[in-house]
Amino acid sequence: MEMQPDRRAPAATRTDFDAVVIGAGNAGLTAAATLQRSGARTLLVERHNVPGGCGTSFRRGRFEFEVALHQLSGVGAEGQSQGGLRGLLQTLGVADELEFVEEHDLYRAVVPGALDATLPADWEGAADAVEAAFPGNRSAVEKFFDLLRRVTDWQIAAMRGLPAEKIDPDLFRQGLRSVKDVLDDHFADQRVKHLLAAYWTYLGQPPSELRFQDLALTMYAYFEHKPFHLRGGSQAMSSALLGSFLRAGGKVRFNTAVEAILTLQGAVCGVRLQGGEEVAATDVISNAATPLTYAMLDSGVPAVVGKDLSSRRIGVSGFILHMGLDASPAELGFTTSTSFVNTDLDEDHTFAATRSLDPVRMICVSAYDVAPIGFAPAGATHVSLMTLQYASVWDEVRPQDYAELKFRYAETLLDLVETITPGIRDAIEEVDVATPLTLTRYLGHPGGAIYGYDQDATEGWLFRNTERESHVPGLHLAGAWSGFGGFQPTLEAGARVARRLLRYKSA
Amino acid sequence: MPHPLAPLFDGAADIQREIDRRDPDTTDHAAQTAGVINTYHPKRLHLTVAEVITETATTKTFRMRPTAGEDLPPFLAGQYVNVFFDGTSRPFAISSSPADLDSYDLTVRRVPEGRISNLLVDTLRTGDSLATTGPMGTFHHNPLFHGSDVVFLAGGSGVAPAMSMIREIIDQKLDRRLHLLYGSRDQRDVIFGSSLDAIAADHPLIRVDHVIADPDPGWTGPTGFFTADLIDTLVGPLNGRMVYVCGPQALYPYALQQLSALRHPRRRIRFEANGAPARPEQQSHWPADRDPTKEVTITVADKRFRSPRNRPLLDALEDQGIRPETACRSGECSLCRVRVVAGQVHTAQEAKLRLSDQQFGYTHSCVAYPMTDVEIAL
Repeated sequence: MEMQPDRRAPAATRTDFDAVVIGAGNAGLTAAATLQRSGARTLLVERHNVPGGCGTSFRRGRFEFEVALHQLSGVGAEGQSQGGLRGLLQTLGVADELEFVEEHDLYRAVVPGALDATLPADWEGAADAVEAAFPGNRSAVEKFFDLLRRVTDWQIAAMRGLPAEKIDPDLFRQGLRSVKDVLDDHFADQRVKHLLAAYWTYLGQPPSELRFQDLALTMYAYFEHKPFHLRGGSQAMSSALLGSFLRAGGKVRFNTAVEAILTLQGAVCGVRLQGGEEVAATDVISNAATPLTYAMLDSGVPAVVGKDLSSRRIGVSGFILHMGLDASPAELGFTTSTSFVNTDLDEDHTFAATRSLDPVRMICVSAYDVAPIGFAPAGATHVSLMTLQYASVWDEVRPQDYAELKFRYAETLLDLVETITPGIRDAIEEVDVATPLTLTRYLGHPGGAIYGYDQDATEGWLFRNTERESHVPGLHLAGAWSGFGGFQPTLEAGARVARRLLRYKSA
Repeated sequence: MPHPLAPLFDGAADIQREIDRRDPDTTDHAAQTAGVINTYHPKRLHLTVAEVITETATTKTFRMRPTAGEDLPPFLAGQYVNVFFDGTSRPFAISSSPADLDSYDLTVRRVPEGRISNLLVDTLRTGDSLATTGPMGTFHHNPLFHGSDVVFLAGGSGVAPAMSMIREIIDQKLDRRLHLLYGSRDQRDVIFGSSLDAIAADHPLIRVDHVIADPDPGWTGPTGFFTADLIDTLVGPLNGRMVYVCGPQALYPYALQQLSALRHPRRRIRFEANGAPARPEQQSHWPADRDPTKEVTITVADKRFRSPRNRPLLDALEDQGIRPETACRSGECSLCRVRVVAGQVHTAQEAKLRLSDQQFGYTHSCVAYPMTDVEIAL
């Protein structure tokens, strides 16, 4: 399609591009590819030298390490449906360039001495697994899963604009309750509740704070469409999406920061790059953190936006050990790709500990060679240990003490993983540590936040509208800060925001 | 504004009240984020030479202080900064202690056929300024698996990171043994000689053995190269101790061979990256029919120029005034990654490419060579 010349811009203003996309993270890449493939001349600007943001990897010795992708949701079996993430990747012409590696389990949940159970990635199998581990809960699990499915179906319908009277009232009764309250309705055994709520880690809020509809959406996505890894890791997807954009004629600038978003009479008219070069465009899609995007506006932050942002909380970051192990998954005892290991069943205590350097209480263990993605040589294993941690933990640390404290805390993650893989330390060939400060550096996000703002009760489509209404004509936000965090949600957000822009322009 | 459906949800009113009642977050997140990055991982440092210390006839240490007076970022002993100079750059290990962030010591030795090292040694004076990257690199002690008893094989100026590691052990009073085997051509080539000997005399955790290849008469210590026998004699059974190796390129295959003869596992040896291969055409996978000295045409954006096949793309680009981001210049940091749009590019063994780079046509320009006329995108 041809974009119409924008009437807002004075006749003298040269338009270099129809749109500038700030940041080549997941949402930036799908936004840029969607725009360019629809004929909008698009400039993609990225501060780093590689595309992907979180969706990247790095090399150490014989290994490559996946940085952020734990389980890709929404892919679905080939031919399962035309929608979902696979559909989006097909639309953008990259699905055939990617090799999806299916995981057959959602996860294994372990609390030493209390719980060790694995949930297969299907509703029936998961119900069987709960029943096998904790007999007598089968009908409660089925009821819980049924509610989870209905709340998700109706939430999706509601988000798409179905009128209220056509929506199952269960969504309105249950959607905004805490995960903990809904689990308490169904189960008495704390271990069962812990097992079923383990994905709270992927959302960054404990079951007492997390809203049921948010966890339901996540579990539904993995159950229905299965968890996947990618051969070549998330970097393969990032590079493929960039390739789609470039093939369509898009222009990309790496190692380039956007210094300011320029406005004329209140509407976006371009960006100023680091170094002073100005690029004219009537639309800017920002994949940068929302508070930083607004800070780039040369006209200042609109009051209504300032008020909204000041009531939101910078989200949790991560502390990660990227490990290369000189032993096979079988030798290490890994039978499933993803394990959540907690020291006890008290998630509130665990969440409180994310604001301290006390010994870690929860890790997500991803073993990338149970279903290999190609990052470890034969007979070896790439494993990452991840826990949630707020960057504020490091505020009081002197820079010269940083390394020592980082390694000391890292030891506590190794202590915890030893409970499921005794002797894992002896197999270490490579290990690198990423802290919230590392993530701040690479993502440029306040607090090194990995999921955007805290996904608490106040954060969600019912109360925040950043993605649809930026309050600055020509400015659009896409990514974890203006919606759900995680790979599938951000990849879809970029394409959605771009399509909305294209529709508006052609209207 | 809440969504029109929000009021229908149980609990929505409480959540809206919570939003309205929250203490406003007034933090300037842009400034705070930039502050964290600048404190820990600045992209560039602007440094001024505070002092020039003549170490040997061919080696100087430049004591670099921040030009604008702020503290330098923390680093791990063994890491390097990439120094930008005369249209190109070279990485140099920091030889000072990580406990001292007032300054970084960069120890530079003249090298035969060298350009930047020689230029720095010959021309850099107190008061001169230059830009570097922040500290980088993975060649450092990692307490999670390196252990508290380590061995360092250094050749020539490869002693610089060892010096930093030793100084750290002393300054931080670490419970870590380090045994340095330090090879030099002759006694006059030894860098930090008196400091190392004094440290070894005072600190039981630090041992230093000088190995002189071509000694003057009167030398009674070990001579020759780091043979398996010599390593075994000086450090005893390795028992899985981590062995660091830093020195001239020729040292690496030799050290690996000798350590392997001692049945030392490969994963307990760590080599510091040390530049693009001096003779890339000698690596066995160099295409046999490609004359390394023949020139080909390189196209990048609107520029087109000729360069010999055996000149790394990064250097060829810098020759034209094009400056890709770069740090290690040895194939591993990936900052100089480029996309090969057209033509055939040969990548040296040093390159630590990502699996997907091969599929999507990316390479690391510091160790990549144009075999045919090529088009490159930065």
